[in-house]
Amino acid sequence: MSDILTVVFRTFMSHTGLKTDLAADPPPPAATTRSALVVGDHSVSRSVLLLAAVTAASHLGLRVMFFTRTQIQSLPASLQKCVPSLSPESLKFLFSFSFKKIKFSYPRTVEELLHQIASLHESTNTSPTPPSLIIVDRLEGFLRGHSELHPGEQSCAAHLSALLCDTAAFLTQVLEKRPSSSGPCRVIASFRSQEDAGQAGGEPSATDPVLDILDRYFQVRCTLDQDRGYEAAAAGLQQVWNIYLSGRGIADASDTKDCEDRPAEAQEWQLLIYPDGLMEFKVV
Amino acid sequence: CFFYQQSSLRQLYGGADKTYLFKQKHYHSNVLSILKFVFGPCALQALDLVDQRSVTCLSSSSGRKAFQVIGGSGRLYTCFVSCHYCPCPAFAYTVLRRNEGLLCKHILAVYLCQAIGVTQQESVSDQQMSTLLSGTVAP
Repeated sequence: MSDILTVVFRTFMSHTGLKTDLAADPPPPAATTRSALVVGDHSVSRSVLLLAAVTAASHLGLRVMFFTRTQIQSLPASLQKCVPSLSPESLKFLFSFSFKKIKFSYPRTVEELLHQIASLHESTNTSPTPPSLIIVDRLEGFLRGHSELHPGEQSCAAHLSALLCDTAAFLTQVLEKRPSSSGPCRVIASFRSQEDAGQAGGEPSATDPVLDILDRYFQVRCTLDQDRGYEAAAAGLQQVWNIYLSGRGIADASDTKDCEDRPAEAQEWQLLIYPDGLMEFKVV
Repeated sequence: CFFYQQSSLRQLYGGADKTYLFKQKHYHSNVLSILKFVFGPCALQALDLVDQRSVTCLSSSSGRKAFQVIGGSGRLYTCFVSCHYCPCPAFAYTVLRRNEGLLCKHILAVYLCQAIGVTQQESVSDQQMSTLLSGTVAP
């Protein structure tokens, strides 16, 4: 799953934003992992998820399912200003094309979310093309609500995570049978631990019991850690975030033979957020 | 680790004549010892479920599959094909909360039944499959 995130980071590495010239881009790395968990501040992680959805739809032509409890009121500034040279009408057309491949769903409870994900195998969701990317925004919002199914958050987290992984595995089989395969099916979710929510400027904690459960099922963890040094303010930036990719999915990718022929994926990135909301990634 | 165990289980129960395992007491006791060593107390409980033919592979017209296991109390537990999860209390407590086990007896019974080819087969509708996978009540 780090492949799509890496494509997002590379796409938004400069002020030119979303690139329309696909031929100039190197092909994305072969997908070696299928699930990634973005951990950290929920406003930043949501922006990353939206960038991932649009990048996957526009760059890779993937069909995306985006689950979130809260309505999306605005797009990240990076998307709004992605191609300054395009007219508003052209930009609208570009987004319209991209967003036709993205289906947004707003389940209110974890039960609704479970049922919607469990239903992705049904023909109404796999025709004409099954989704190749499943995104779930703010898992903690679903998991910490009252659930009649599960006595505790850990059990609920395990059920939801396992269902996501099993659904992605099934959809991968369906995609790989199609002539124009866009598999495998990948999963990205975001999660903010209670420790993160309670600590201003604190680092994501590895002791959150729900996070421990999620780490069992998600192959890659993408940690967002705010840099509160003085350099950010000195550079005129709104915020600076350090991004770390970790987990067994990263270790597995580094062991594959393909890595002998191509550079390894960068595991550390930095996210710069400007006062106007523009987001820019750079490799550390 | 789980995939290695699945491969090892197939080796334990492999062979053209699977009943050989149950007839040769020496081999049988070795297999039991290995299972108990690797999986602990739930090994014998899982073998009881295997003897009772408690595992069914559910399939829907979409091609989606899931396993359904009849627990000791008669309750049905739905387990996934590609990763470990079981809604039973033992999985929630021993595996998730205490991190003291790799799987519960229901998941182990699925592996064992698959390895020796005694899984029951049943077809369900796509909607029924969705309800089973989500653990929710059908709308």
